[in-house]
Amino acid sequence: MANTACFIIVSRNDIPIYEAEVGSAPKEEAAHQHQFILHAALDIVQDLAWTTSAMFLKAVERFNDLVVSVYVTAGHTRLMLLHDSRNEDGIKSFFQEVHELYIKILLNPLYLSGSRITSSHFDTKVRALARKYL
Amino acid sequence: MGREVAETCMEGMIFEMVSTYSTRFYATKPELAARRIEAIGYQVGLQLSERYTTERPRFSDHLEAIKFICKDFWSELFNKQIDNLRTNHRGTFVLQDNRFRWLTRVRINSLPKKMDASQHDPSAPTPDNKTAQATSMHLYFPCGIIRGALSNLGIPCAVSADISNLPACEINYIL
Repeated sequence: MANTACFIIVSRNDIPIYEAEVGSAPKEEAAHQHQFILHAALDIVQDLAWTTSAMFLKAVERFNDLVVSVYVTAGHTRLMLLHDSRNEDGIKSFFQEVHELYIKILLNPLYLSGSRITSSHFDTKVRALARKYL
Repeated sequence: MGREVAETCMEGMIFEMVSTYSTRFYATKPELAARRIEAIGYQVGLQLSERYTTERPRFSDHLEAIKFICKDFWSELFNKQIDNLRTNHRGTFVLQDNRFRWLTRVRINSLPKKMDASQHDPSAPTPDNKTAQATSMHLYFPCGIIRGALSNLGIPCAVSADISNLPACEINYIL
């Protein structure tokens, strides 16, 4: 069970469309630091994404004892997770399930691709998945 | 995410959409109707391409993405693959489908033209012209779908379609 975890979804235009602290013991003062680490990792992800055709890029960067893992979809939307656990299978399943949820959001005809995801339903489900897999 | 509907329902809905936009919403401005239909197709293409690429690994270059469109994407939409793909290796691709499903219901007007001098009115559009114009309206939706799918995969392009011989249909896109 991870103590800290921060999850963001970044669209193909490098705009974050969803952010959530999904750790079991959220520390308020570190929340913006987590965001900063994740945004800084975007450059590395960009380079790495072109070298492989897999969707799940494992740990792309380390910071102290936190690890950034990334999952890239075909439409170049990046799901990034900052965590301190080592459970790779759990993280991969988490990413796959969030990918399915994200597609359901996309299928909404009133959702403009690349805009922020404001659905509370999506938020609840992501947090439940995080508790289950992380 | 796997419920099914009858194909005739899909075809009926698409026909109705095209005819509503052409005759009720923008009856006097067919260009605007065409743009709206193409925009609907664009959004549908975005969503469909995102949906159909979950299972497979990502694409490493343009050609693979286009092959995906020809094979998997087309067979998901129309239950068959593209019959012929040509390219000039400088950014233009031509997809040819010899039996485009959504156009199989369109009747090919092969009646001989009657040249009766007393009734002939040169200013009215000939029946062939009107058929061609109406049929070309139906092509904007699939063009939009392809443009949306390719844009989502990272390839902005211009798509145009050509129906010189029904029921075959040629689609060109230029990167």
